[in-house]
Amino acid sequence: MNGTHDLEQAADADNGGALNPREAARLLEQTSREARRQFNLSPPLLTALMGGVILVAYGALWLSVREQHPYTGPSLGVIGLVYATVAVAITVSMKVYRRATGGVSGPVARQRTVEGVAILLSYLGSPVLQGALKYYGASDAIVYGVIPAAAPLIIVGTTVAGIAASKADWPQFGAALAVVTGGVAAAFVGPIGAWLVAGIGLFVGVVGYAAATAWQRRAVGNV
Amino acid sequence: MTEEALDPLIHAPARLRIVATLAALPEGDALSFTRLQDILQLTPGNLITHLRKLEDAGYLTTEKTGNGTASRTSIGLTGRGRAALEAYTAALRGLLGGL
Repeated sequence: MNGTHDLEQAADADNGGALNPREAARLLEQTSREARRQFNLSPPLLTALMGGVILVAYGALWLSVREQHPYTGPSLGVIGLVYATVAVAITVSMKVYRRATGGVSGPVARQRTVEGVAILLSYLGSPVLQGALKYYGASDAIVYGVIPAAAPLIIVGTTVAGIAASKADWPQFGAALAVVTGGVAAAFVGPIGAWLVAGIGLFVGVVGYAAATAWQRRAVGNV
Repeated sequence: MTEEALDPLIHAPARLRIVATLAALPEGDALSFTRLQDILQLTPGNLITHLRKLEDAGYLTTEKTGNGTASRTSIGLTGRGRAALEAYTAALRGLLGGL
């Protein structure tokens, strides 16, 4: 009986006469919007929220070191808080990633996976630099201050900028450039200010990207 | 312009939703049958009926990979299907006076 019911439903849905142009336009707009939402890797609201969380985390790091003379690095409590924040951010990102890529296959989907791996690998750059600098006797201010604050922004930011430029994704390119600029500025303001400047650079890049994608989404209308 | 200008293959609620959903994917990418069904909330029989019509018209392609329980059907919009949706959208715009 279920098959009969299906065929009846199909016949009902096949009735194009029941759909006037205005209803069709609305249905097309709603469906396209929902589909874009389903396949979107960076939902603007969530991205903006991440920007806020990043600012709070870097702000906490800055607050924990701003009275240090000489510089010894962020406190363990704050580092734990930052790691917990990062863990939550990764969990949420994975959930969004799974929804956006679930059941999707093809050349662009494969390309996305490769890009994700490249970005993850670029995160290794900063700890490698820290290890090398520690090995060569650099001060704590450099190893636990300037480098961990500035290097990830410069290394990961340039990786993302390169990927974005290759796809002509200019909002993402602009956001990555803002993050790289924040990283470069953070590298020259000392170990204490580096955390604050890096946090602001990341916040501007991430929230700017969220705003740009939200604007783009609003501008894209089918009818 | 009259409603005759609207492609009858797309101008049906279920097929319009199928084509619009697949068009949201980057060109060349495809979606699994189960994910498409999940997004559109259509019964398998209903979805198959509409997919067959669109495939017969050359608007989409289906590809089956694997065997038994591991088998998977992927559905992708063809260049012809994408062009048909663009023409349909343009016709709708014309009918609604650019709204």
